[in-house]
Amino acid sequence: MPATPLLVIEGLCKSFFGVQVLFDVGLTLRPGEVLALVGENGSGKSTTMNILGGVHRPDRGRMTIDGTDYAPRGPRDAEARGIAFIHQELNLFRNLTIEENLFIGGFPRLARWLPLIDRRRVREHAAALLAAIDLDLAPNTPVSRLSQGERQLVEIAKALGGDARIVIFDEPTTSLTDRETQRLFAQIERLRDKGIGVIYISHILGDVMRLCDRVTVLRDGHVVGDAARADLTVDRLITLMVGRTIDQIYPPRAPAIRPGPPALEVRGLSQRGMVESLDFTVAQGEVVGVAGLMGAGRSEMARILFGLDPFERGTILVDGRPLERVTPLTAMDRGMAFLTEDRRAEGLLMEASIADNIALPSLPRFAAGVARLLERTRLGDAVERTGRDVQVNATDFAATLAKNLSGGNQQKVVIGKWLLRAPRLFILDEPTRGIDVGAKYEVYKIINQLAAAGTGVLMISSEIEELIGMCDRILVMAHGEIRAEIERAAFDREAILRAAMWDSVRHGAAA
Amino acid sequence: MSADPHRLRLLLLQNAPLLLFLVLLGTFALLSERFLTPGNFVNIMAQAAHIAIIAIGMTFVLLVAGIDLSVGANMYASCIVVALYMKGMHPLAGFAVAGGLGLLFGAVNAFLVVVLRVPAFIATLATLFIGRAWALYLSGVKMVPFGKELLLLGRSSWLGVPVAIWIFLLVFAIAWTVLNQTTFGRQVYAVGADPEAAKKAGIAVPRVLFAVYCICGLCAGIGGLVSATQVAAAASTFGFQKEFPVIAAAVLGGTSLFGGRGGVVGTVFGAVLIQTVENGLVMTNADPYVYPLIISAIIFIAVLVDSQRTGMLERLERRKIRPEPG
Amino acid sequence: MSAVRIDARRGAQGVATVSWLRRLLLSEYLVLLLTIVFVLVMLPVAPELASLETWRDIIGAMMPLLIVATGQAFVLIVAGIDLSATSNLAISSVLAAAVMTLDGGPLAAAPAWLAIAAGILVFVAVGSGLGALNGACVTRLSMPPFIVTLTTMMFFSGLAIWITTLLTDDGSSIGNLPQGFAFLGQGRIAGLPFSLLIALAVCVVAHVVLSRTLFGRWLFAIGINPRAAEVSGVPVRRAVFFAYVICGLCAGMAAILYTARLETGTPVLGQRILLDVVGAAVIGGVSLFGGKGKVLWVVFGALFLTVVDKGLSLLGLSLASMFAIKGGAILAAAVIDAQRQRLLRA
Repeated sequence: MPATPLLVIEGLCKSFFGVQVLFDVGLTLRPGEVLALVGENGSGKSTTMNILGGVHRPDRGRMTIDGTDYAPRGPRDAEARGIAFIHQELNLFRNLTIEENLFIGGFPRLARWLPLIDRRRVREHAAALLAAIDLDLAPNTPVSRLSQGERQLVEIAKALGGDARIVIFDEPTTSLTDRETQRLFAQIERLRDKGIGVIYISHILGDVMRLCDRVTVLRDGHVVGDAARADLTVDRLITLMVGRTIDQIYPPRAPAIRPGPPALEVRGLSQRGMVESLDFTVAQGEVVGVAGLMGAGRSEMARILFGLDPFERGTILVDGRPLERVTPLTAMDRGMAFLTEDRRAEGLLMEASIADNIALPSLPRFAAGVARLLERTRLGDAVERTGRDVQVNATDFAATLAKNLSGGNQQKVVIGKWLLRAPRLFILDEPTRGIDVGAKYEVYKIINQLAAAGTGVLMISSEIEELIGMCDRILVMAHGEIRAEIERAAFDREAILRAAMWDSVRHGAAA
Repeated sequence: MSADPHRLRLLLLQNAPLLLFLVLLGTFALLSERFLTPGNFVNIMAQAAHIAIIAIGMTFVLLVAGIDLSVGANMYASCIVVALYMKGMHPLAGFAVAGGLGLLFGAVNAFLVVVLRVPAFIATLATLFIGRAWALYLSGVKMVPFGKELLLLGRSSWLGVPVAIWIFLLVFAIAWTVLNQTTFGRQVYAVGADPEAAKKAGIAVPRVLFAVYCICGLCAGIGGLVSATQVAAAASTFGFQKEFPVIAAAVLGGTSLFGGRGGVVGTVFGAVLIQTVENGLVMTNADPYVYPLIISAIIFIAVLVDSQRTGMLERLERRKIRPEPG
Repeated sequence: MSAVRIDARRGAQGVATVSWLRRLLLSEYLVLLLTIVFVLVMLPVAPELASLETWRDIIGAMMPLLIVATGQAFVLIVAGIDLSATSNLAISSVLAAAVMTLDGGPLAAAPAWLAIAAGILVFVAVGSGLGALNGACVTRLSMPPFIVTLTTMMFFSGLAIWITTLLTDDGSSIGNLPQGFAFLGQGRIAGLPFSLLIALAVCVVAHVVLSRTLFGRWLFAIGINPRAAEVSGVPVRRAVFFAYVICGLCAGMAAILYTARLETGTPVLGQRILLDVVGAAVIGGVSLFGGKGKVLWVVFGALFLTVVDKGLSLLGLSLASMFAIKGGAILAAAVIDAQRQRLLRA
């Protein structure tokens, strides 16, 4: 094992808006090593990597590269020190060729005084880089013609061209076929052979065990394990990721003893590249959780159910009757409500008041006559009542803009705007993301009240703990499919995580 | 893959302008026998030269998903100065002045759009009025004759090809080289495709944006003077509503209003197409009041094709969360 | 955010000035104030500005503009734009005049009231029809609003001119309209110009629609965040479509007043006011980025532009310099709007 480490991170601490997300995180990367970074969603992996990449600054802690201090002020500093990121969302320009993407920051010139691109040198460099990663494509192929896997390889070539010494892969294989994954791994092994340090972030633990030399495990912002692969098993990794120290408190609720008639039935719902053959039911008064990792297709499913995205096959039945043309309007007419994952982009009108936000979905119910004049007193009263019911913390609902509220209060506004419609089926996508513990508890209470009143709840969450605490049943999704359906009696963190990770068997269709 | 109806429709959309062109050629050829002659072709090219030059500049702006509605006013403002104060001087000096003023005009647009972040169409709509007003003030709303030198230049030709065409070819060659053979040119495409990713890739996005508006202004100045060599004087309507055929030429040539796609070769084709239509209408003795109707209908079709194509490409490129079989 | 930083650096004195300036810049009465300042400054050089006659002119010129600009506010609120309003004026003026004219019009023999009624119907139908065309292109075909309306502007002003050349000998305008029609533009009721009453009615209705109805609330929601609006069950496409229809309808109604004032249908009707149409709304403070606007602001904006127009023409300024000044005013308004937007989003 080489003596001097390439990268050392020590004692990293970071808080966002007063909530600490990293606690003394440290890791070491040696040249020619593939280090896996694993942990549940929200365990602090991406924050750590964002600090490494110069996107965020740490509150405390120190980083060194080759023994010299490294304190990036921005992404360009990271690049200058030889750090390259390969994100899940690729940053290639589809309207340019491979070689142009490799050199877009600055092409080699014909001569110092002549600002023309030396196409021959570009071609040669690019061909050499592509050869180095075994990508058998002409350098002047447009990126738009490449498959997802080929684009990923081009990103690697770009990192190599920039003389990267540390390459970070963030969930690189989620949309790759089996063969493309094999190719990617072969390339990562070659990077290792060249003495480049690789940090590999993935939920697919089978891949981790196959590829990586060492694994660092994060949980709730703490490093809870750091060991050589030889000393680990997949089971051991899962146990490390799962074990929890803080116990969250969930409000007591009487579980649906005798589930009512189905509020939502989904039959064979499929959309190419998104979800495949989804089948499940949500009964009235039941809380059904949806677990899964990022990119498992949970939000995509929710969007299809609410008519925001199309689907090719399958049926959606609400209260036993099929939805004909699924649009947000028809879905809402049948009593559906949808709290979206992205509050800022889709949940709220940030520039509008609390009252306007709460009123928006219910406006047609308060519009009278041919002119559809709003009954402002009745509307105002209803909005006021709902806002107080969900305990939005503001004195004047009509004067306070949504953007000036805390995350928790914003979420209560979103919940409130749907409660005003008295939904029969409420789809909640990450209802407690980015809100503090107190607000979480209040959100849980509201969900329980809804269920008690007979509303069916479909709750998507990345916090398994939360699902276990709240749900009657949990569906586990991976790769756009439902992998497991677990009853309350059989709830078990490890079993859920295992189903979500879906490690050993990869998708069959790729063969 | 060939079975994919999306790809097929896309192919059809991509080639719609070419089909349109062929249909028009056929129609005009049937209606007038003078239409399909080499002489008439040179004629069309010479008439199309100034539109092509300005549209080449417009292409740069469209490639970054911008727009410049002020090119017509710019060409008037730049050329009126040459007409008023540059009589008796060498045409080259005229081109330097017109180009320089055009560039300055473009820089004002760039400042408004890039630095002050005014939406491009409203900023350039305002400078359209202000620029034209300034030029009208200078000219006293009178017709101002251009110097003899310019007219002589306009009438002369080299190797049997009118000078206007040579200038156009020169501008075209330079613009093509800049767009395709320089780092800046490729960065223009990158910024147009995805400004966020461009920033991450270390491209100085504001600088690229600023530059394209300047280039567009420069081309408006030069194109204006090329037009000046062909008309005896700058009337108060010189360059009036030129933005229409110019934008039409670029969009017809396959440059997208949504940025990132297109190029100057297509733009030249579009300019020739527009001029062919005008020429064909003249040849077939069509009612002159119908011209704007036809030109705007053509722009409409081009924009329609562009937005359908863009929507389709977006759908095809949507992120997938599971590998698609096949 | 950034404003806060500036304040901090400038110290206590600075805070007071900056916030005072900011309050003024953000005030909805800023434009009204500017109008008054303009009048006061102009009075010594153009004393006519104090005369009743001048103000009657101003009102006469302002009312149709106000109606068009009010329609424009609807599309601006959904972050759209309609540059075709001027051509809408022209084409509806020409077509309606062609229906009403006593020089060989189809209703020349019919009673005047019938001709006028038919004419008004044409104004309204053509106006909203053109609006519907714009709306369909924007919502169904996903074309960018500014280029769609720029194209329809060119097409329909061309069409108006062409139709006029077909219908008349000199090709300039269609005159000899029924007697009663002129009343709409020039008549008075209880001493008040009829055009003022119509504009007032349009403004009141528009105000009620925007601030008190379901539709109005939907428009603002779409302008602020179309995706969030869609998730909340707002029929985004349908609402945007009707915003364009209303914009067209307003242009058609304004065309009634313009045509009645001139007593002829003419294809050059709107040519001078392309900037004023968007300008009145934007200068008043309706945001080009959507989600923000009030009919009252449009009134201030239209008043400002008309008063400036009148004041400058009293000074004997040329049309060109008036365009330059108006262009500058609109540019200034757009810059303020953009900066405000940056402050909000920061």
